[in-house]
Amino acid sequence: MSLLLPIFQALLMLAGAPLVGGVVSATKARLQRRRGASVFRSYADLWKLFRKEDLTPPTASPLFALAPLIVFTVIVVSSLLLPVLTEGSLLGGRGDFILLISLLALARFFLVLGGMDGGGAFGGMGGSREVLISALAEVPFMLSLISVSILAQSSRLSGIVHWTLSQNIFDVSAVHILAFSAMAMVAIAETGRMPVDNPTTHLELTMIHEAMVLEYSGPSLAFLEWASALKLNVVLSLLVAVFLPWGMATAWTPPALAIAVLAYAGKILVLAVTLAVVESGVAKMRMYAVPDFLGIATATSILAVVFTALGRR
Amino acid sequence: MGGKKILEIDGLYPIVTQLVFISCLLAFCGVPVIALVMARARRMESSAVALLLVGLLLGLGVGLRAFRGGGLVLLDFSSSITPFAFTLALDRLGAFFLVLICGVTIPVALFSVTYLDRHYDAPRRAWIWGLFSLFILSMILVVVAATAFAFLVAWELMTLFSAGLILIEGSSKERLHNLFIYLLMMHAGAAAVAASFFLFSPFSPDLGFANIRLASSLLTPGVRAAIFLVAFVGFGTKAGIIPFHLWLPRAHPIAPTPVSALMSGVMLKTAVYGFVRFSFDFLAGGPRWGGYLILFVGALSGVLGVLYAIGEQDLKRLLAYSSVENIGIIFMGLGSALIFTANQAQTWAVLALAAALFHTFNHALFKSLLFLGSGAIADATHSLDLEELGGLLNRMPVSGAAFLVGCASIVGLPLFNGFVSEWVTLQSFLAGSTLAGDYPRMILPLMAGALALIGGLGAACFIRVYGVAFLGRPRSAAAGAAQEAPPAMQWGMWLLATPCVVLGIAPGLMLNPLTVLSQSLIPGATFPEMITSLPVILVWTALAVLVTICLVAIVRVRRRVTPTWACGLPGLTERMQYTSTAFSKPVRFVFSVVYKPDRRLEILPNSDTYFPTAISYSSVRTTSYERYLYRPITDAVIGLANQLRRIQSGNIQVYLLYIFLALILLLTVVGIYR
Repeated sequence: MSLLLPIFQALLMLAGAPLVGGVVSATKARLQRRRGASVFRSYADLWKLFRKEDLTPPTASPLFALAPLIVFTVIVVSSLLLPVLTEGSLLGGRGDFILLISLLALARFFLVLGGMDGGGAFGGMGGSREVLISALAEVPFMLSLISVSILAQSSRLSGIVHWTLSQNIFDVSAVHILAFSAMAMVAIAETGRMPVDNPTTHLELTMIHEAMVLEYSGPSLAFLEWASALKLNVVLSLLVAVFLPWGMATAWTPPALAIAVLAYAGKILVLAVTLAVVESGVAKMRMYAVPDFLGIATATSILAVVFTALGRR
Repeated sequence: MGGKKILEIDGLYPIVTQLVFISCLLAFCGVPVIALVMARARRMESSAVALLLVGLLLGLGVGLRAFRGGGLVLLDFSSSITPFAFTLALDRLGAFFLVLICGVTIPVALFSVTYLDRHYDAPRRAWIWGLFSLFILSMILVVVAATAFAFLVAWELMTLFSAGLILIEGSSKERLHNLFIYLLMMHAGAAAVAASFFLFSPFSPDLGFANIRLASSLLTPGVRAAIFLVAFVGFGTKAGIIPFHLWLPRAHPIAPTPVSALMSGVMLKTAVYGFVRFSFDFLAGGPRWGGYLILFVGALSGVLGVLYAIGEQDLKRLLAYSSVENIGIIFMGLGSALIFTANQAQTWAVLALAAALFHTFNHALFKSLLFLGSGAIADATHSLDLEELGGLLNRMPVSGAAFLVGCASIVGLPLFNGFVSEWVTLQSFLAGSTLAGDYPRMILPLMAGALALIGGLGAACFIRVYGVAFLGRPRSAAAGAAQEAPPAMQWGMWLLATPCVVLGIAPGLMLNPLTVLSQSLIPGATFPEMITSLPVILVWTALAVLVTICLVAIVRVRRRVTPTWACGLPGLTERMQYTSTAFSKPVRFVFSVVYKPDRRLEILPNSDTYFPTAISYSSVRTTSYERYLYRPITDAVIGLANQLRRIQSGNIQVYLLYIFLALILLLTVVGIYR
């Protein structure tokens, strides 16, 4: 049981990931007064891509074919670190949130390299933007999680969740507000959503993530698309687990687990709809305005850490 | 455990160990003799290399044994060789560095066998092998020296032998200038190191390390702080910490590649050794503010080092700047350990010190690997300019894979060794929140942000290196015609790459003995239990990655080769790829404050702006350190020398007068002090 539940929870995240993306685009369509595609369209897309053949550039090295597999694998493994339905997860231990951030970096490392192996202009272009944005996002990502972990006096995600669950939901500290706002900005940058990157752009010159996967097709593209959907799910689930864990099962009973699944789905749904509203409301930033955006996130997260030192709670 | 130790010290083992250690030292002395005496003989090289490898293996054996706590060595040459006390002693700290030196040099030596053969003629090879061996010997002497005299002699020899190796590569004017700067800064550093030893002398009967340790409790706070500062400047210069890093990107690239690997991978580590010896072993912590100073300077070196690395085009210079970055990370760990010691949190101090020493070891592995990789690239393409490389992974798959391991390790990605040491350092920063004062509670966790920034920028730097050099299309004919490196070079690289992966998944192999070592350096510390529980998650992660990738790889993929997307236009060439300059542009733009580029745009002819015949654009990063920090110093020195020229009349009577005056002055001084 103790092993089955984390595996179920990982499969839930993996299987549900395309749906989250589907909900976001369906909501955006509604906000733009379009009917839009079904929320399940992403699954059909993946199915279609998996049956197609892979097109490889003539100069590509073995890394080109390997990169999508590695990216997908690493993102899947990073999802195993997250507490979703209960405090526990399949992989967990001291400093696991640092491992989570680094696993995302590992996936990015191979994603960018795969993009550069195409031998065209766009892979390098997307990659050079991605590495800048991720380098700047890493600071607030690390600091906001650290500030919460200092509050919870635990360096493992399950410990943070456990502590937050025992707190009064209305008794929110300044650290939480600051860390949450920083993390929300990081989430946008990490997952390549508006206003940092436009996932639906069709213009190569404005692409970041899409430029890196431009050369991929067929099953490789399917893996990359699925990985990027799962990454969105992982980052949203991290926000949920660290800041809004209420509703997680504390007992191993079927009703508690059912409530946990419903609560988790509800929270992710709310975040997805919020994301859609934000994306519909703002225009994409100029590339060099992104450092300012992330600078605000960094300043906020620094304040969060400073407040943990000054405040006694 | 205790009983066994006594048995070993009293029994036969120490004698055997000492004999082995002496023969190890003799082997290194023997190599130059063989190399130079038999320079003409065909078998010179193989016998010299064999002897060198024997010495390295003996050193590694003795080191590993002492590192694990057995067979400590004590050799006293005081009366026989020199009038000064010349004692060698191998304790755990020295043994760790002995393992590092010998362990990293073995693959480098293997690599060099073929590399030197392909690049140098026989007489120069003889010189290189001889100096190579003496260079290693001097580094070993540094870490086993047990008196100030022995330490300073070895420290000086280390500089001179490495300078000799640089000189063999060539002696053009620019190289000599760079070499001069190297020697100058090394001697300034050595002077500081000597001064920090001599500051002990009023409190200690002689400058043996045992007496220095005893003397440290007698020091006045002022002297203690002075020793700490001077030692930091001295060892910081050798380590290449900013702002004393000026020599590093000049000296490392101009050495023969295997020597660059040793200078960056191993020689810099002797400075870490010296600083740890002084601050933890001798001073037991240093002044209260010392930790913050080290932490800040380390963070500054880390961030600036990686930013300068991103701005570099030449692979070896880039790697040299990346050494500045990694030394910064190591000093951040040391600084955090000092802060914990000052705040009586010894257990956390042990953790931070172990993390810093582990990063020292890891950096030795992957930086040597990357330098050897750059040697393989230069061997195949005759260029180290990133803009002339590309597509090498298809042509050099084995070396390319090893280089990829090096890049992933240096960036600190999980499942590679660099991650573990940065991870443990971050854990120690996080533990800063448990301290009592407001400042450490605030500063230590914030430093995690600096480390995250270094990690992110490091990723940008090495993704650029690997993507531009090994992936995509070849950017020059030479890169397109590259051949895989010969087997010995591949072996050398993989001997370094394998431990990078092994220590990334099972870091306990190195981390546990290092924690024991750190515990022995910090009095009153308990063993941090978390160090044994930390790596468990890594094994599971590795397992999860393995299982998932096996599941994922089941998917059948049909492949077809089609041209790269070029917006529908024909004729995509290698010139249309993103260049390394373009790739680093966003980072350089955002951090332009750091780079201060000197841009020059010339349009010819001047009269016709709209239809120019030629446009030339150049952007040079000015080195503000030279202009604002070093230039005033050199100007002052030269100015002083000019003033002193006035008393130089050339008349012998006047000089006799000077001697007489100096004598009277000295006698007066002595008279007053009596």
